[in-house]
Amino acid sequence: MTDHNDAPAPASAGKTIPFKCAKCDAPLGRPLVCDACHTLNASAMLTDYFTLLGLPRQYELDGQQLHRSFIDLCRHSHPDHAQNDSPKVQELHLRVSATLNEAHRTLKDPVRRAEYLLELLGGQSSAQDKRVPDGFLGTMMMMQEELAEAKAGGDAREAGRIASVMRTQRDGLMKRISNLFEEHRLAVSCEAVRKDLLDEIRRQLNAVAYVRKLLSQVEGVHA
Amino acid sequence: MPETGGIILGIDLGTTNSLGAYMTAAGPVVVRDAGGAALVPSVLAFGPDGQVTVGRQAKAHAVENPLSTIYSVKRLMGKSLKDVAEDLRVLPYAIKPGPNDTVLVDVAGSGRTPQELSAMVLEDIRRRAEAALGVKITQAVITVPAYFDDAQRQATRDAGRLAGLEVRRIVNEPTAAALAYGLDRKSDSCIAVYDLGGGTFDISILRCSEGVFQVLSTNGDTRLGGDDLDRELIDMLTGEIRARFGEELEFGPATRQALKAFAEEAKVRLSDYQQAKVQVDLGGGRVFERIITRDEFEARAAKWIDHTLEHCRRALADAGLAPGDIEEVVMVGGCTRIPLVRRRIAEFFGRNVYTAVNPDEVVALGAAVQAGILAGMKRDTLLLDVTPLSVGIETLGGGMGKLIMRNSAVPCMASETFTTCIDNQSAVDIHILQGERELAADCRSLGRFVLRGVPPMPAGMPRISVTFLIDANGILNVSARELKSGVEASVQVTPSHGLTAQQVDAMVKESYAHAMEDFEAHRVIDLRNEATRVINAIEKALGARGHVLAASDRARLDQAVADLKAAMKSEDGDAIDAAMRAANEAAQALTADQMNDVLRQTATGRKISEF
Ligand SMILES: [Zn+2]
Repeated sequence: MTDHNDAPAPASAGKTIPFKCAKCDAPLGRPLVCDACHTLNASAMLTDYFTLLGLPRQYELDGQQLHRSFIDLCRHSHPDHAQNDSPKVQELHLRVSATLNEAHRTLKDPVRRAEYLLELLGGQSSAQDKRVPDGFLGTMMMMQEELAEAKAGGDAREAGRIASVMRTQRDGLMKRISNLFEEHRLAVSCEAVRKDLLDEIRRQLNAVAYVRKLLSQVEGVHA
Repeated sequence: MPETGGIILGIDLGTTNSLGAYMTAAGPVVVRDAGGAALVPSVLAFGPDGQVTVGRQAKAHAVENPLSTIYSVKRLMGKSLKDVAEDLRVLPYAIKPGPNDTVLVDVAGSGRTPQELSAMVLEDIRRRAEAALGVKITQAVITVPAYFDDAQRQATRDAGRLAGLEVRRIVNEPTAAALAYGLDRKSDSCIAVYDLGGGTFDISILRCSEGVFQVLSTNGDTRLGGDDLDRELIDMLTGEIRARFGEELEFGPATRQALKAFAEEAKVRLSDYQQAKVQVDLGGGRVFERIITRDEFEARAAKWIDHTLEHCRRALADAGLAPGDIEEVVMVGGCTRIPLVRRRIAEFFGRNVYTAVNPDEVVALGAAVQAGILAGMKRDTLLLDVTPLSVGIETLGGGMGKLIMRNSAVPCMASETFTTCIDNQSAVDIHILQGERELAADCRSLGRFVLRGVPPMPAGMPRISVTFLIDANGILNVSARELKSGVEASVQVTPSHGLTAQQVDAMVKESYAHAMEDFEAHRVIDLRNEATRVINAIEKALGARGHVLAASDRARLDQAVADLKAAMKSEDGDAIDAAMRAANEAAQALTADQMNDVLRQTATGRKISEF
């Protein structure tokens, strides 16, 4: 009875932001906050999370820059600093704050960031394309068998070793995803090639989801 | 009394003790009574005349009056009878089921909600602050354990309302502590706040950068605290008493209450000394004596501390950090005075722990800082907190569909689209859950709501968008809209373990009806009683040690006492308060230490009227 959708829909990507502050008409250096009068610009929430946080729209990102930008925007938009404003302004602060928090959460985590960027670039969702890279399932089944054996034998060290192999696997997949995004960004090529790249990213991400789930089960055993 | 000058009172509503603090230009300040005491035991004593006593005096009567002395109410907030089964074993007072699967405390035959009881403590804290500041206080920031769920937060907010306070913010205790420690001056560092209080445990991991406190993760147990350590000692003593005097020995409420008091005292003593001697008079000439060593206590406390470390591990994992990444460990809560706790936490994080500020007062000070932020007094500081538990809805087949993940920064919002499963269905039933487990049955039920007014359409056609918003208090708000027709669907969440808005409104009205007496008149009565106690204390001390005073000091003191006696005849509360303070000050010369003790005893435990 519910059609649950995990990833937040990237609001109409590429929508242009007004160049001027709605209140004081000063030119806007960044979409959300007017540097001249500190007014929040509600239409900034129609942009994508990268633009909102003043970051380039790409997978590789500077964690410090994300943190600084997030904190700075929070100082301007947090509801605590709008307590003496009108209910309408307070409501705007609440909505902007919630959107910023979601944007920060999405971009901070590599997997969520990759999913979000893939969707922005027009890639398919995991529900639309469930494929994984060739040979991946074979490797996983082998590992799961080894893991089941280790668990049955109560061999915590062996289980720990397998978990560590899985983490290496996951990190490798993420590195590959990063490279694919970079390739896509720099590619001056036809639509078909670009689509192939996005499809490949989808398959790698499906594999990551699989490994992460297994890993959480293994780590759950250790906890 | 003058209207509030916009003062928002910060209140630490604790399991064992409560206190208030307020923000000044120079920083947060704890509210103290004339004798200098800040902590008010969260204890209520109900007298046969219907009078309610709060604080130290109530606690002092606990042994004589076990059935009508109520404490540890915080453990009952937002809980059902089933939830508190374990607590009932140690609470001497009676508890019965209340409305909406809540509990009621049986006080002399009438049931009181935990919200009402907490409101009485809050009311006392408010009156103390009003007496100290000389202004009326109508707004507060109240702290709760970070791991409190939605029902517990709402119950706390309702308690505030019942105490006549507009609760401007519910703030998490460890986060408040971080605010008060002044760690904001750090450029960019990660800190851990370890908060082991009377009845709850929290661990929060924060990143502090130039005035912004960003909570990365939080974990804890709302039913683990100093009470559990007391219980270890009580179990040890009862076991040994039965072994000596016979297994069939029954412990009456008074003995249980006495054992609890002894255990508490022994625990405190063992923080400073290697051993504590306990002596229990069981009546009939049977006296039980026992020396408890620190080693014995630590052996019994160890498993509880191990348990807290497990929560520390989880919080670090959620923050994506290792113990070595933490640059500062802040200890909060009375139990962090226990040497074993400090030792183990220092070991775990591989660094010294930070306990510079009084661990009992730091949470209230932090609440005052947050109050200052809300009042616009402190624009350079900002708190970014998280929600401790995931929120979701029950899916078909009894699963938990998470909409907002634990440790998401608040405020946070999630939308979900619902539809109907039969033609022309006009209502959709939705069950809201909180927790981390996979099955709805294993999660905490927050409430249910029915989406009404769905326009008649074939099954699957309506698209009802429901928005779940967790505000900065960590409290969930739900709204809904049918997207096809644009009809705003009404959402009325029925809480699973709490009072509905209407019930709270009714209780607030009732409390006003009962508290008909003029506020100022009430305050004057309170102040007169207190002034009488102060005068008695001074006269007693003069009788015993008057000879140590210089003639000029003696004259000054006599004059101050005379002034106070004169002021007491007036109806001017402020004048009585000022005269009382002057008398106290004049009495300082009279051997400060001894005097302080006497005053402290006399100036606590004032009575408040019944609700
Ligand atoms: Zn502007």
